[in-house]
Amino acid sequence: MKDISKSINKVDNDEKISGSAKYIADFVMDGMLYAMTKRSTISKGEIVKIDYPQLPDGYYIINHKDVQGKNVIKVIFEDWPVFTDKKISYLYEPIMLVIGPDKNILTQLLDSIQITYKEETPLFDWTDSVIDYHFDKGKGNRIFDQADKVIEHTYHTGYQEQAYIEPQGFIGYPEGDKTTLIGSIQCPYYVKNAVKQAIGEKDENVRVIQSTVGGAFGGKEEYPSLIGCQLAVAVKKIKKPIKLIFEREEDMSVTTKRHPSKTVFKAAIKDRKIIGLKAHVSIDAGATIGLSGVVLSRALLAVSGAYTVDHLDVSGNVFRTNTVPNGAFRGFGAPQMFFAVDMFVEHVAKELNQDPLEFRKKMLVKQGDRTSTNGLFRDPVLMPEMIEKAIKESNYLKKIEDYSKKGNYKGIGMSLFYHGCGFTGSGEKDVIKAKVKLKKDKNKKVYILVAAVDMGQGVKTTFRKLISHMLDIDIKDVIYHNPDTDFVPDSGPTVASRTMMIVGGLLARAAKEMKKRWNEEEFIVMKEYEQPDYIEYDEKHFIGDAYPAYSWGVNIVEVEVDPVTYQVDLKKAWSVYDAGKAIDERVVLGQADGGLAQGLGYGYLEVMNHKNGKIMQKNMTDYIIPTAMDLCDMDTFLFDNPYAYGPYGAKGVGELTLIGGAPAIAKAIENAIGKNVFKIPVTPEYIMELINHD
Amino acid sequence: MKSYIAKNLVNALEVLNKDECEIVAGGTDMLIQNRSHTGMSIGYKTNVLYISLIKELDYIKEDSHYIYIGATTKLESILKNKITPIILKKIIHEMASPAIRHTATLIGNIANASPAGDSIVGLYALNAKVRCQCINGERIVPLHKFIRGVRIIDLKFNEMITEVIIPKNDFSSIAFKKVAPRKSDAISKMSFVGLLKIEDDLLLDLRIALGAVYITVVRNKDIESKYIGKNIKELKENIDNILKDYEPLIKPIDDQRSNKEYRKKVALNLIKDFLLNV
Ligand SMILES: Cc1cc2nc3c(=O)[nH]c(=O)nc-3n(C[C@H](O)[C@H](O)[C@H](O)COP(=O)(O)OP(=O)(O)OC[C@H]3O[C@@H](n4cnc5c(N)ncnc54)[C@H](O)[C@@H]3O)c2cc1C
Repeated sequence: MKDISKSINKVDNDEKISGSAKYIADFVMDGMLYAMTKRSTISKGEIVKIDYPQLPDGYYIINHKDVQGKNVIKVIFEDWPVFTDKKISYLYEPIMLVIGPDKNILTQLLDSIQITYKEETPLFDWTDSVIDYHFDKGKGNRIFDQADKVIEHTYHTGYQEQAYIEPQGFIGYPEGDKTTLIGSIQCPYYVKNAVKQAIGEKDENVRVIQSTVGGAFGGKEEYPSLIGCQLAVAVKKIKKPIKLIFEREEDMSVTTKRHPSKTVFKAAIKDRKIIGLKAHVSIDAGATIGLSGVVLSRALLAVSGAYTVDHLDVSGNVFRTNTVPNGAFRGFGAPQMFFAVDMFVEHVAKELNQDPLEFRKKMLVKQGDRTSTNGLFRDPVLMPEMIEKAIKESNYLKKIEDYSKKGNYKGIGMSLFYHGCGFTGSGEKDVIKAKVKLKKDKNKKVYILVAAVDMGQGVKTTFRKLISHMLDIDIKDVIYHNPDTDFVPDSGPTVASRTMMIVGGLLARAAKEMKKRWNEEEFIVMKEYEQPDYIEYDEKHFIGDAYPAYSWGVNIVEVEVDPVTYQVDLKKAWSVYDAGKAIDERVVLGQADGGLAQGLGYGYLEVMNHKNGKIMQKNMTDYIIPTAMDLCDMDTFLFDNPYAYGPYGAKGVGELTLIGGAPAIAKAIENAIGKNVFKIPVTPEYIMELINHD
Repeated sequence: MKSYIAKNLVNALEVLNKDECEIVAGGTDMLIQNRSHTGMSIGYKTNVLYISLIKELDYIKEDSHYIYIGATTKLESILKNKITPIILKKIIHEMASPAIRHTATLIGNIANASPAGDSIVGLYALNAKVRCQCINGERIVPLHKFIRGVRIIDLKFNEMITEVIIPKNDFSSIAFKKVAPRKSDAISKMSFVGLLKIEDDLLLDLRIALGAVYITVVRNKDIESKYIGKNIKELKENIDNILKDYEPLIKPIDDQRSNKEYRKKVALNLIKDFLLNV
């Protein structure tokens, strides 16, 4: 049988290139109305009074009074109202929808709704801690008693915006007693469960269908639940099709972003080695807690990076501020931590006058080592070979020596990192409980029935390929429609690099059974998630195996800095990844290029900040993501390292490829300018400061 | 709100004479400035006159002293034309993206009068002038007098710009730097144009123009003429003085794209770098 990694054309190439793929903006229904959102103009306070204009016939206002179920969005931490009743906790908080057939009239109505507020002083400092975590490994803080030296540094990371091409949007309509939503979403069942709770309906009366998704990157994980609920409330009351789509500026001003972070690291040094680490991570949740606790966990778990440190004292806080809520974004806490830890270990090596590469290589995680929470790295770790490959391909050793000479403004940097695949902790077993179905019909067609969403990453291609390979049938006979909750079971959200490893793993088990029963004419196989029995995790105390498997990566980036303008020119990048086994090599390379581009952008270009709670870069003119002109050649090498529970050995790949970009480019810039970098993005403005302030 | 589509110049001037209109050439500023929600019509707040179909204004021509560029000539045609001064080509090459350059006009960039408008910096340095026409006549105005402030130009309601006039000149050294947050499709944080002419070791002409460091382009002929007539060695010895001369003229702002310290420092670095490399 041929190697499954051998690439095939993506199955949705034709419809996407020809333009026939239907995105949410392409859906039009008879009698369809439009919804626009009236938002707060203050960051904190209370609504005292609302003066409504006379509504013309056929126009409606929907607000918190129309929410028949619970006025809160169902996410991990439930503190996000569908519509605020009166309390305002961030700028542009949604207050009501204005709905009707003509957008011109809707914009006039929006302007003529007068809201009087009682304003309070908004909180932007990180002082209101709402989550507080702490755990130790080994001797914890006591290891510092044995230290002959302590090194301390602080690292900062900024906002990052997902910048999906297609903004957030839904169309909702009634089907008898049912409220149905079609949307640009990552997690059909998150939306369905949230809507059920908000409109107080039975399971069978809520239906959620995924339209073609034009990019998501985590931005369509929990945010769509908010506007999905708002729209469902409206559809249930008005009983007409209604479309709610954000404009770009609205989307960038109000939707969730990557949590800004601050990490304080202390290393206990003995005999010029790190014997222990103490770290404290702060993240800014914005106005609602939502997923922030899990984002913080993922950051804390990665505290020692790709290295093993026996003694750890790890803590972190989630702070609430009166700013736009932050949420899911590819990497989910890991990019913040890997930037901090990989810079820190490099900085420590330099301060100890040790060669950073040798220093880091000695500390690398090996198979059988303990994780930060005393779990086990059970599977082989190929990092030494991967590093060697990256060094050879990039000529790293020669370059780092040459570039370290002062004044040539060239630099090269290397990041080492991993990503824990799947949900953190016992999430898969206790919360998600994924189910998949595979159906064979009379015509020997096989239907993949899962809730996984193709948002451009290629899962339509890889799942169909996986099943066709396992059953040894033509890929044309494997059918995989966009998920519709009326027809597919809840295989969980399309997040956390879990889709191929977990959902694909279940599908592979289903396919195995189907193959055995192939002679039966028509049947369905269902499989449910079973946690590998070795996985034990105590979420409260941070003890045990937080992830079933780990994917690994090495990035090397070469840059040149312009000494006149302090601008960074990317020269070339080399990457080596172990994601188990590529189900389709080109799909993985697509993740590699896109992920690295997004990680590099995070590291040196993508400035986003708020001023008094207002996002300053609210369109693609001001929020700078790299163009093809900015990027460089990227060479990527994949190492096979099959994981026993993944289909054909596959592990997670989607998030891994973003994580190493920022530390690699930050180190390359350090190397070029001969100064240490402590925050990202490393902008020309920051480089100027570093160069000019000794 | 009315919209007119002019088929020729006379037609356009007649419309302008009877009805107050904003002009739309390529529309790459106008459409963005008047954007509305998807599916709604463009949110123009005034009457508009579309001029892009006026063929007679789509030209680049020259005589012995001047180059003339018409109001409907696209940036891309200017970029491709042999006659275009090299410094202007360098600038246009870094403006927007190919798609926008096939639509946008040079005169649109001038009339938009943004402090970050890229071509204006070069046109100031080239001593360009604009020809403004109305039904009753025309006038020619030097660019630095025509642009009065941020988005403020000296154009009467019944006038339009019909062409840019650029004096021909030879330079021995030219430099352009667009300091943008990325390499394509980006608005300048600041920009620099340096032009100079040296013959027999003597500085005969020196022009320095800076964009996005003040409400309009910074160019100062008094400073330039102080150093004209010096030899190269003297010029280089005077770099610190030149920087001191420019320093008070550079008054940039903080905004969502950069900060004033950076803009100022880089402006001075670019002047220094240009003079050092003579
Ligand atoms: C994606 C994108 C990228 C861009 N990148 C850049 C860039 O890198 N650098 C840069 O400088 N600009 C940039 N721009 C701005 C814009 O493209 C330029 O300013 C362009 O030159 C405007 O030309 P236009 O013909 O499209 O002008 P229009 O939008 O048609 O008009 C602009 C202004 O000029 C006036 N006007 C036009 N023609 C005349 C006339 N004949 N007489 C009197 N008034 C007139 C209009 O009334 C309006 O006020 C960018 C725009 C976009 C959308």
